[in-house]
Amino acid sequence: MRRLLFRRTLFGLFTLWVVSLVVFLATQALPGDAAQAILGREATPERLAALREQLNLGGSLPEQYFGWLGQLLSFNLGTSLAGGTPVASAVGPMLLNSSILMLCAAVIAIPLAIGIGTWTALRKDSAVDHVTGIITLVLASLPEFVVGVLLVLLLATGVFHLFPAVFVLVPGEQVWSNPAQLVLPVLTLVLAVSPYIIRIMRATMLEVLESQYVQQARLKGLPERTVVLRHALPNAIGPVAQVIALQLAWLIGGVVIVEFLFRFPGVGFQLIDAVTNRDLPVVQALVIVIAIFYVAVNLLADVVTLAANPKVRTAS
Amino acid sequence: MTAHRRHKSSHLITALALGSLMALSACSSGASAVQAGADSVSDPKPGGNLRVGIVGGSAKDSLDAHAPVTHPDQARVIQLYDTLASYDNEHKIQMALADSITPSADATTWTVHLRDGLKFSDGRPLTAEDVIFTFRRITDPASPQSGASALSTLNRDALKATDSQTVVFSFSAPNSTFPDTAAQYSLGIVPADYDPKKPIGAGPFMMETFTAGQQSVFVKNPHYWQAGQPLVDKVTIIDFPDDTARVNALLGGQVDAIDQLPLGQVNVVKANPAMKVLESATGSWLPFTMRVDQEPFNDPKVRQAFRLIIDRQQMVDQVLGGHGTVGNDMYSPLDPCYPSDTPQRTQDIEKAKQLLAEAGKSNLTVDLVTSPVAAGLVEAAQVFAQQAKAAGVTVNVKKVDPGEFYGEQYLQWTFAQDFWFTRDYLSQASNSGFATSPYNETHWADQEWTELVTRAQATTDSETRCGLIKKAQQIEFERGGNIIWGFPNSVDAYSAAVQGLTPDKSGIPLTSFGFRNAWLNK
Repeated sequence: MRRLLFRRTLFGLFTLWVVSLVVFLATQALPGDAAQAILGREATPERLAALREQLNLGGSLPEQYFGWLGQLLSFNLGTSLAGGTPVASAVGPMLLNSSILMLCAAVIAIPLAIGIGTWTALRKDSAVDHVTGIITLVLASLPEFVVGVLLVLLLATGVFHLFPAVFVLVPGEQVWSNPAQLVLPVLTLVLAVSPYIIRIMRATMLEVLESQYVQQARLKGLPERTVVLRHALPNAIGPVAQVIALQLAWLIGGVVIVEFLFRFPGVGFQLIDAVTNRDLPVVQALVIVIAIFYVAVNLLADVVTLAANPKVRTAS
Repeated sequence: MTAHRRHKSSHLITALALGSLMALSACSSGASAVQAGADSVSDPKPGGNLRVGIVGGSAKDSLDAHAPVTHPDQARVIQLYDTLASYDNEHKIQMALADSITPSADATTWTVHLRDGLKFSDGRPLTAEDVIFTFRRITDPASPQSGASALSTLNRDALKATDSQTVVFSFSAPNSTFPDTAAQYSLGIVPADYDPKKPIGAGPFMMETFTAGQQSVFVKNPHYWQAGQPLVDKVTIIDFPDDTARVNALLGGQVDAIDQLPLGQVNVVKANPAMKVLESATGSWLPFTMRVDQEPFNDPKVRQAFRLIIDRQQMVDQVLGGHGTVGNDMYSPLDPCYPSDTPQRTQDIEKAKQLLAEAGKSNLTVDLVTSPVAAGLVEAAQVFAQQAKAAGVTVNVKKVDPGEFYGEQYLQWTFAQDFWFTRDYLSQASNSGFATSPYNETHWADQEWTELVTRAQATTDSETRCGLIKKAQQIEFERGGNIIWGFPNSVDAYSAAVQGLTPDKSGIPLTSFGFRNAWLNK
């Protein structure tokens, strides 16, 4: 298992390198450079020339790429072209904010979804099961920004005025200093992630509950509680962990739209802005961080799957 | 002109869903209507924090007085820095930091006299030396700022202070519109030791905090030269790249005012008694630009035909939702010399077809390059493509990303679009009319026109100048490269508790971001 982990990690690093290359080439393929993107309508030849000089744009493609890679290997992310600040200090706070948002969503969504999935599996074909099935199907088919807009209408600007509709960060304060503002973005993410986990949990649980060893456990006279918690649940978690990992990985993508909708100061918000500004150092840094997250989450899912399945765990 | 106007949100569906469902919000907020009813009676009340949501904003936000790049930058610059002259709500030039700006007889030399007792926000006196530093900084050849192109004829080395309150500006060519230039918001006066990181100015507010792409807080400048202003203690400017979030913030009470209310939301906000819509007719324009030096538009008949193809009223109705006025292929409608007696050009498909046939260009196919760089551009292109079908003209609307629009091909597209705020004729002409102008998208280089406008620039007598301008306008009406179909209104929204915002013709939102006049009735 250790060898497997090592191989996976190496492969992950390779993936990161490929991602950095692809993103670099993709941003180069975008029309216009940072100077043009910053000046926009005012991009007169004189001002363009002056700004290009200030930003040190230029150099051949390989020069630029290896320059950036070299900096990265010495843990220097470079300087933001648009803001003129070091990339690390520009990206850091945003990363923290997004992590908080995603952590809140994950901490609420995962136990909740596993719970509901198990619960509906135990009440298969009851009214509760059918209603949950329909709700999760509807939620799963709605894009998250629609869910977000509906929540805003329901809880912020329309029917009830319970929570703020957008996120306004008071300078110098942290995102958690006003928790009411976090409610709607977190809720949107929870509603976007949960349905898949609930459905897969229910399906896996049903399968497990019908398996021979569960029947055996029941025949042995074990209490139903023990059967479910000790014997069924651990065996159902394996496949579900993969789906959770996928959903977590999705979160960091979904967070882009949710952050834009709620004006939440996070990586998604920043990434859109950086691409618009052709701010290559910031784009690269953000994409690498997102890719690391992707790789790490998938690695973690593999570990959980292995740990939850004795057959795999002990095989080698 | 500096700011990027609204980037049309990609969340069209969101906006639609919001619009249709927000009728609910109008019903449910009836309760707050009672307190809002008592607004117009009380006297101006000082104090409070005015929170304003402004479209756009980005990591590239800056506080530099002379290089505003985003829309919130424009709002911030107007709070921090005052200019020598300024525009009132009717777009008439008024003196500001200067109490007189006087030309020599041939308009090549201008003498600016500053008001008595002017101070920067840090309490130091504002003198002639600061004015000279400001104009040298703007026109620095190594790093030309936003206002540099309008000052291309300024002899920057010859700027001279005759005493601590008087500066003499000399120009290499007659420049009768210098006061107009001096009133542009990107020419704010800064101290001689100016550092954009510590933005000292003579505007109504001073910076307290600033986070690029997020928000900025401004506090009252105790040394402001206009007595009794500003009224509020603080102004918070919050960046909102997304339309939906901006409207939601207003409806949810997180901001007191927003600029550029999406047109789909106008009726929703009007139906809400706790909100008000601020609508102003302006001289802003969204032209289609035809390059007069390239096929097929190098033939005036083709240009004429295209101008006859367009159904202007339909454009205003469909693109602007009726919030605008019809144009007549001439800009600067608020200039006192605008020839409003010129007959209104209307759609005439038969005539257009005939002109195209005469030019040998029947069944013409052209590419129209558009980009969501200002509200309504893409929609206008689409409506025009529809209208052109009737005349047998195929218009392929080529929508590009703003980065590409302002990329290598910027100012070189054969058939594209642009947007401008309100400007008087000569100032607009020097920006976009001459072969040497920085934004001459139509590549207009008409000799007769150039002579007329050059003469007008050198004419200080307003009546003679008006005659010349009218003739120049007539030339553009007959053979110019712009199709000017309309002038959009500026439409903003604010909570009924906000007082002192009035309609304003500049095209710059929220009374030209005139928060120094605003106060809060709460």
